[in-house]
Amino acid sequence: MIIFFPCGRSILPESRPVQSNFVEAFEPRSLGNDIVIRDMSWTVPRLIPRSAPVILLVLTLAAVTGFAAVGHLVTRFTANQQARGRKLYALGLTDAAAGRYDEAIEAFRAALTCDPTNSQYQLSLARALRDSNDPRRLDEAESYLIALWQRTPQDAAVNLALARVAAHRGSIEDATRYYHNAMYGVWNAEPDANRNRSRIELIQFLLKKNVRAQADSELIALTTALPPNPDQHLEAAQLFEQAQDYAGALSQYEEVLRLEPENAIALGGAGEAAYHSGNYATAEHYLREAVAANGNDSNARELLATADLIIRTNPFHSHISDAERNRRIAAAFAQAEDRLTNCTQQTSAATKTIGSASSLTALQSRWTQAQPDLDHLRSPGETDLPDAIMDVVFQIEQQTAATCGQPQGVDLALLLISEKRQAASQ
Amino acid sequence: MSNPAPTVSSSPDSRVPPARIKATSQLFSSLEGVFHEEVFFLILSVFIGIFSGLAVVCFRLAIDWTHLALLGPLPQSHSLRLIAVPALAGLVVAVAVLHIFPGIRGSGVNQTKSALYIFNGFIPFRTAIGKFICAGIAIGSGQSLGPEDPSLQIGASIASFLGRRLEISREKIRLMAPVGAAAGLAAAFNAPISAVLFVIEEVIGRWSAGILGSVVLSAVSSVVIVRSFLGSEPLFRIPVTTFKRPSELLAYAVLGIVGGLASVAFAKSIGYLRPRLKSLPRWTQYFQPAVAGFLVGLIGFLGFPQIMGAGYDSMDQAMHGQYAWKMLAILAVLKILATTVSFVSGTPGGMFAPTLFIGAMLGGAVGDIERIFVPQLTGSTGTYVLVGMGVLFAGFLRAPMTSVFMVLEVSGNYEIIVPVIVANTFSYLVSRSLQSIPIFDMLTRQDGLVLPSLEEEREETILHVEDAMLPVPETILSAQDYVDANAHRVQNSPESSFLVRMHPNGWNTISRDQLLRFFHEGKGELTLASVLPAQVLPSLYPDLPLDSALRYVNDYPLVPVVNRADSRRLEGVVSRDSVFKKYESGRPIQVSPS
Repeated sequence: MIIFFPCGRSILPESRPVQSNFVEAFEPRSLGNDIVIRDMSWTVPRLIPRSAPVILLVLTLAAVTGFAAVGHLVTRFTANQQARGRKLYALGLTDAAAGRYDEAIEAFRAALTCDPTNSQYQLSLARALRDSNDPRRLDEAESYLIALWQRTPQDAAVNLALARVAAHRGSIEDATRYYHNAMYGVWNAEPDANRNRSRIELIQFLLKKNVRAQADSELIALTTALPPNPDQHLEAAQLFEQAQDYAGALSQYEEVLRLEPENAIALGGAGEAAYHSGNYATAEHYLREAVAANGNDSNARELLATADLIIRTNPFHSHISDAERNRRIAAAFAQAEDRLTNCTQQTSAATKTIGSASSLTALQSRWTQAQPDLDHLRSPGETDLPDAIMDVVFQIEQQTAATCGQPQGVDLALLLISEKRQAASQ
Repeated sequence: MSNPAPTVSSSPDSRVPPARIKATSQLFSSLEGVFHEEVFFLILSVFIGIFSGLAVVCFRLAIDWTHLALLGPLPQSHSLRLIAVPALAGLVVAVAVLHIFPGIRGSGVNQTKSALYIFNGFIPFRTAIGKFICAGIAIGSGQSLGPEDPSLQIGASIASFLGRRLEISREKIRLMAPVGAAAGLAAAFNAPISAVLFVIEEVIGRWSAGILGSVVLSAVSSVVIVRSFLGSEPLFRIPVTTFKRPSELLAYAVLGIVGGLASVAFAKSIGYLRPRLKSLPRWTQYFQPAVAGFLVGLIGFLGFPQIMGAGYDSMDQAMHGQYAWKMLAILAVLKILATTVSFVSGTPGGMFAPTLFIGAMLGGAVGDIERIFVPQLTGSTGTYVLVGMGVLFAGFLRAPMTSVFMVLEVSGNYEIIVPVIVANTFSYLVSRSLQSIPIFDMLTRQDGLVLPSLEEEREETILHVEDAMLPVPETILSAQDYVDANAHRVQNSPESSFLVRMHPNGWNTISRDQLLRFFHEGKGELTLASVLPAQVLPSLYPDLPLDSALRYVNDYPLVPVVNRADSRRLEGVVSRDSVFKKYESGRPIQVSPS
């Protein structure tokens, strides 16, 4: 049952003051409806004088008191919540460290319900979401991080996390931007190491994405900022190797060896870098030391053998006599003929394509034409002959490598010498 | 000469110099002059905002604390606690509602509106206390209800209490409820613009410039208070939203249609169940909230704890693509069920947050399904979730303007305004065509009350002067002409009254008898202007409400209707008969061109 007020429903303005019997302490007449109508026949005495300044003063005092009381309440509540959040956060960190990302995400979410504005919790949740390998969670991770970034764009940790999300997405532009922000942002601890760490991550990402030029420039920037730490130089050298910048890698390995002369990894790495850059004398030196330091390093041993062969067979070596050079040319010429004969037999046995067979036949005729020139090597006026003969040798080695596969032993040595000369002439 | 010293020394204020007392008294007198009622009401609005903001801060803490204490930070499904807690809390709430706080059932929006239109702004302060405690327990224990509508009622109750205590005028005390409501809602949702619009659309139910300033002031001050305590973090972490091709609006239109249908289903289920549950014997009311709590808890127990409570965390996760479309659709349907049972059981709590939840889930589901069939769509799940929130708001609560601004205010992204408007419009139209009465109006009518609504006002046919306008009369006299010439002109006219064009402008009127009397009195050689009484006939414009013609048609036989650009150009006339006939018929009169 509804009981209406005697004053009715009109909302026409009336300027009369409301009667003081408008008070609330009445018993309800109806429970049947959500809107309960009450009797209004009770009066309370006026508590404060009806003077506007006094009223406003009282209201101000009440507001200040309320503000202080609520502030106290909020502070206590927040402190309790923060304590609860810290416990949940610690659980989340343990789960995340153990790779239990689903549990970690739940714990971080719970921590955030206790302390919703905690940046550390948000960052950790975003990291866990990102690392959980669920592509649907990347969006959420990114939104947390972007919210953090908007608050503190200079925060390097947030930028690094955003860079990793962008790297997960494969976005080179965003990743590069955020990695750079991380490098030049504010780190709370170990800024130099963290900056280098960020740059190394960027380089790894760029190499993975095959953006070689940008990776090279980042590598150069990295070497200028590295402290005298063998581990970091070693890592940089390996990155140079990944980027196929063997000169840079050799330089970094040598820096490691300057700090730790007995470092077997650096010795092997320096030897390999020198080998790939065609600096076989240096490679032979480092590889020999690497094998001496670690006899089980089969890769170094193999490279050392090849480097040794190259040094012993290279007719263009600067510190050999003319007779020795001529001997090496003759030996190489004979070796090339053997290689060509073997490859031709392989090709005909395997019924290879007509193009390969015809090119090998052409090389055979070139070899036959060049054979008489061997006798003129000792003639003083024939200065171009060594190059001409070795050109035939190199062509045979390159063509047979392309047709019959990578050679071994002296043929491999001759092939590598040819590649080095080709690179030098280019 | 009398010495005042003994009197002064006997006074309790004897140590205060009389000059200071006089100065203080003068200061107070001058301050009294500054604070006339309008200014005082505006200042009071700020205080209402402050007190409402403080109350809402406490309310939010109470909900959080209850939730943590009863359900833990992150409720896991298959825990019996999920069933037991809301059911037991329902029992407690039922006892409190039936015996201590009888006016706190439901959301509080209608109660606030009733206070404005029926009870002269009266909302018991006990309502604020009861709503605070019971809604806090209900929402904190997992009932599928939101804190916004209770905050609105708490704000309105505080405002009403202040108004009564300060004994301001009845006119102002009526306006206190919406002022407090805006403050409470703005504080709860951290969105002052949406709160102001919602109060105008749903509480006041009409555009009223007089109260707008106070409503805005209270809303802004309450938001400032809440932000100073709880920070300015938005309710959701807004994802990257995209809208690239206009053709994608079709996808949002489909979302609007689906949202409209869901709104109708939601509203009809509440409209069907609520009166039936209320008609059950009184003793069942002790158990209805508990049964509702049990059902909601059961849904949570069976694997969907996201639907418990307000659900903002789940909305946030949906916005970031954490759920597949099937899960989103299931959550939308379950939330409709859970909110329906929670609300119709009489548990105190609001429908604002559940509406957003259902819209968010539905939006995400529809968006994901659309992208399966049309992979070219560029809108992310988050975009559809955001648009979906507005869609349900427009369709279910039928507050179209609030729905648009709410999404914009929450997202802070104006790029999605076009999809929001398109989807909301479709939702609103579908909902209105399938359910003529909006949800809040339906609830008030179930309670036996009829309150004005903005939707009614929008649909109301307003009669204008042009609807009752008669054609321009054939005979119009000129005040510059002589009386005998004018008398000659009216000789064959069937009319009994004539308009007179005054010089240089303005209109007058004269009857045939009056004109002929002047003629017979020998004033034929005089101009009509010189014999007419010095009066200027009021004129009307065709677009004015027909009510404005009522002021004049009793005093004048004809009232000219003139053009707004040229007051000398007559568009037609209205008479007492034409106006009353229009009111009787309600149909426009065919006006032939003059």
